[in-house]
Amino acid sequence: MAIQAAVGRLPETPSQVINREKIVDFVFDGKTYTAYEGDTIASALVAAGVMTFSRSFKYHRRRGLLCAAGACPNCLVQVGDEANVRSCTTPVQAGMKVEAQNAMPSLDVDVMSATQLVDSFLPAGFYYKAFIRPQALWPTYERFLRQAAGLGKIDPDSEPGYFDKIYKHVDVAVIGGGPAGLRAALAAAKSGARVILMDDQSSPGGHLRYRMDEIDGLPAYEYVAKMAAELVGFSNVEILTNTTAVGRYDRNWVGAVTGNRLIKLRTKALIVATGAYEIPLLFENNDLPGIMLGSAVQRMIHLWGVVPGARAVVVSANRRGLQAALDLIAAGVHIEALAEMREEPDADLIRKLSAEHVMIFKRTTIKRAWGIGKVQGVSLESLHSGQIHEFPCDLLLVSTGYTPANQLLFQAGGKLRWNEQIHEFTLDMLPSDVFAAGEAAATHLLEDIEREGELAGLQAAQFAGFGGKIEKVTFLAAKVEERRAERIPWTQIHIAEDEAKKDFVCICEDVTRKEIKQSIQEGFDSVELLKRYSTVSMGPCQGKMCNINAIHVCAHYNQKTVAETGNTTSRPPVTPVTMGALGGRLMEPVRVSPMHDWHVKHGAVMMNAGLWKRPDHYGDPSAEVRAVRERVGLIDVTPLGKFHLRGPGVPGLLERVYTNRWQKLDVGRVRYGLMVTEEGVVLDDGVTARLDDDFYYMTATSSGASGIFENMEWNLQSGWSYDVHLLNVTDLRAAMNLAGPRSRDVLAKIIQGVDLSNAAFPYMSVRQATIAGIPVLLLRIGFTGELSYEIHTPSGYGLHIWEALLKAGEEFGITPFGVEAQRILRLEKGHIIVSQDTDGLTNPFEAGMEWAVKLDKQDFTGKASLLMANQKGVTKKLVGFEMPDGTIPEEANQIVRPGNGPIGLEIIGRITSVRRSPTLKKVIGLCWLPTEMSEPGQEFTIRVRGQMKTGRVVPLPFYDPDGLKLNS
Amino acid sequence: MILLTCPNCGTRNVSEFRYGGEITKRPNPNTATQAEWANYLYVRKNVLGVMPEWWCHQSGCGQWLIAERHTKTHEVLKTYVWEARPQE
Ligand SMILES: [Zn+2]
Repeated sequence: MAIQAAVGRLPETPSQVINREKIVDFVFDGKTYTAYEGDTIASALVAAGVMTFSRSFKYHRRRGLLCAAGACPNCLVQVGDEANVRSCTTPVQAGMKVEAQNAMPSLDVDVMSATQLVDSFLPAGFYYKAFIRPQALWPTYERFLRQAAGLGKIDPDSEPGYFDKIYKHVDVAVIGGGPAGLRAALAAAKSGARVILMDDQSSPGGHLRYRMDEIDGLPAYEYVAKMAAELVGFSNVEILTNTTAVGRYDRNWVGAVTGNRLIKLRTKALIVATGAYEIPLLFENNDLPGIMLGSAVQRMIHLWGVVPGARAVVVSANRRGLQAALDLIAAGVHIEALAEMREEPDADLIRKLSAEHVMIFKRTTIKRAWGIGKVQGVSLESLHSGQIHEFPCDLLLVSTGYTPANQLLFQAGGKLRWNEQIHEFTLDMLPSDVFAAGEAAATHLLEDIEREGELAGLQAAQFAGFGGKIEKVTFLAAKVEERRAERIPWTQIHIAEDEAKKDFVCICEDVTRKEIKQSIQEGFDSVELLKRYSTVSMGPCQGKMCNINAIHVCAHYNQKTVAETGNTTSRPPVTPVTMGALGGRLMEPVRVSPMHDWHVKHGAVMMNAGLWKRPDHYGDPSAEVRAVRERVGLIDVTPLGKFHLRGPGVPGLLERVYTNRWQKLDVGRVRYGLMVTEEGVVLDDGVTARLDDDFYYMTATSSGASGIFENMEWNLQSGWSYDVHLLNVTDLRAAMNLAGPRSRDVLAKIIQGVDLSNAAFPYMSVRQATIAGIPVLLLRIGFTGELSYEIHTPSGYGLHIWEALLKAGEEFGITPFGVEAQRILRLEKGHIIVSQDTDGLTNPFEAGMEWAVKLDKQDFTGKASLLMANQKGVTKKLVGFEMPDGTIPEEANQIVRPGNGPIGLEIIGRITSVRRSPTLKKVIGLCWLPTEMSEPGQEFTIRVRGQMKTGRVVPLPFYDPDGLKLNS
Repeated sequence: MILLTCPNCGTRNVSEFRYGGEITKRPNPNTATQAEWANYLYVRKNVLGVMPEWWCHQSGCGQWLIAERHTKTHEVLKTYVWEARPQE
């Protein structure tokens, strides 16, 4: 294993962020490299002379560092089990294992790079053309494509990471800590607003962090550091570095990510000062390693002391390109030639460059680069004469234009418009609580950037209620308007007329100018269509690098203007976000009954029922069923929805929410109640007991509890004028059901204050009593079909009562039973479970519950719907069935008959519940059938695991049809 | 994420609330024609503009309230309980 030394570093300067005393080793593609603390993976690799960082998506071409700003796809690497890590913004850590992505088998030898020799293999729109036929080969294609087109590897065995989220609330949020953002934050802070400033780099400063030119007698990086230091002094300001705002939503709800943490920010006013992306230029082989954006080169030199070449050619179209050339000279790089796209470049900088004997070609661009595996030379072309000049080089610095990082503004509802004056898209029609400043608003000159920042800061503070500086705002606003009108272009885009083969518009998806031309010829001529068909701008950079070039190429081949061509829609997130950050910590709330620990201790197999944990069974559900039928069993039914209803208006409310009658329920009696929606669809069921003149106790299904409560509250709060106080006591009360022929004997041993005899306490009645001094509510009801008592008690006493009952029941062979036994028991009795046996269209008549609907009531929720349904009659019915041959179908198996369907079958019904009954020793269930097939004795066909099986309709209930047990 | 002001709890994220739909006028179920009832159940005005709608402060105090929300800008102009609704 070769140790690569950190070579090629410049002498130390104060702008550098590396600590040369702390050396860190890491591994890249099996080789160990040495870095300094403060290095990014990319800066350390460039210092060690590494030029190829990845292989491209489609053609597997070598790709090197391009933007060094976390925007482009070129430097994405795999770090351990995390794919698509941006090596240019990720700090090196000791022992880090970094691997190149998309290289087969390695960066230097990639068998897939042969694809670029066979262009027709991956034509424009290849997603929609290639690999389609023959269909039988698809599995092979898929395997190949997944391997060839992947970005990194996912390790399903990797340990889940730790992620969390935090909420923040401020008056003014400033996104971007460059000169505009800092000025804005300072202005807002001075106004007294609570301010948060977010920057995606390791420290604020924006592009001034890596600029040397003098401002107010200081080098730019010192000038901006002073500004940041001033901001730190404010106690009403929070500065978050390494934090990327990824989305702006309604009412300034901002999502941001920092490391493993998602920030959810609510701000009264939002300032977007996110700067601009430097964009590549189109020319042949514009993707060779060694071709870098000017800002990337400046970052390398000034932040990490790394020189990415020795002999450079510079292509410039604005002040910063020329400044970058001066920086190269200062770093000891020889400039072979400088092509300046403008006719009249900035005279002051040209003078300085001439003094350094740089060969300058005005009104000149680059035609092509060449080289094997890296840039080795370029051809420059005069835009006047077409004259070609060739130069050798190992670094090509391109600094020819910007595109504003205005995604958040777009998401806020701003309208994008092409601005011909400055050759950039700008936004207007921003909502009143969103402000833009600096390069995000396409303003590039520093004094203008700072002025816009200050104005935005004052305006945002004013919006948030921290105003006062009206005159200053008016003055600054006028000045900003005036200066914006005077802006000149910082961006030049040149589309050559030739048929260049490999000039990449989109480096993420490997889309060339030729492929875009081809797509347009095939009819995909609008930008939105072009994007989807060619996949241009749909890769990891999400258009940051390629969108502007793609729009220009599209305009060019459509012979339209850029303004006519328009732009595509930008949606959150602005930069890719890991799924972990979005998922956050695994925080699934769990609801348990007071008897939960007892269940676990006694071997219960627990199941999820919504958020509740419930015992499914304690080992043998059939034995539990037999215990209930023959002796006595006890089940925890705490998850039931439980409500107190008090007041003279309760009968009226019950009449409204239930389909049956409630005016004449005597004190001490219980009634079953059915609820439907206003559409007449079965919604929930339960019982309501009258405890006292004005006091009722209602239960609802566990899953329906909160919804039913809200629905009843709506009835109380929307003008129906019921005098009722409703209280949801679901969490305050434990409940258990003591069921079986011996249940009365068990209860008799420990209960006080109630006559349990059948005459004194009959079926469907309620009593209040005590067990060992603890108040309990006894409801004599029977979901299981046996004599049974549902016992409700304050939840703090739940376990105590549970254990007391088990102890008292010992001599009768009492057995705890779970949800599975209860399901069998209720099925034997023919009771339905709402939303298992019914669906989102079921009305009570179809479900065989017409007895619970009183259509002659004055009114109730769903009345008109049920009147109409009743008139129409039912076309399908929920009925009981058995399986004569003993086959156990699965729930949701389909009932079929010969007809028009994919396999010559028509689906006419389905199984909703099915079990083998331990009591009846046969397979029984509930199913939906067409009315004409629903008479007892009729047979039907069920498709069970591909086989046709016969079921037979039988009357309900299966068990104790006369209800003798319940009433015993 | 929009904000709603609960008359009891103050201004909260909309994620604390359950949507209750456009405010509709319920016909008399005993006299409504099928068309009138179907219209009440399934047809919404879906205005482009300010719409009064029901919201329940589900994760808060349980209050049902009416919010006047602009369906395009999501601006919530005001919220109030039923009793405080403007009289027609
Ligand atoms: Zn509330």
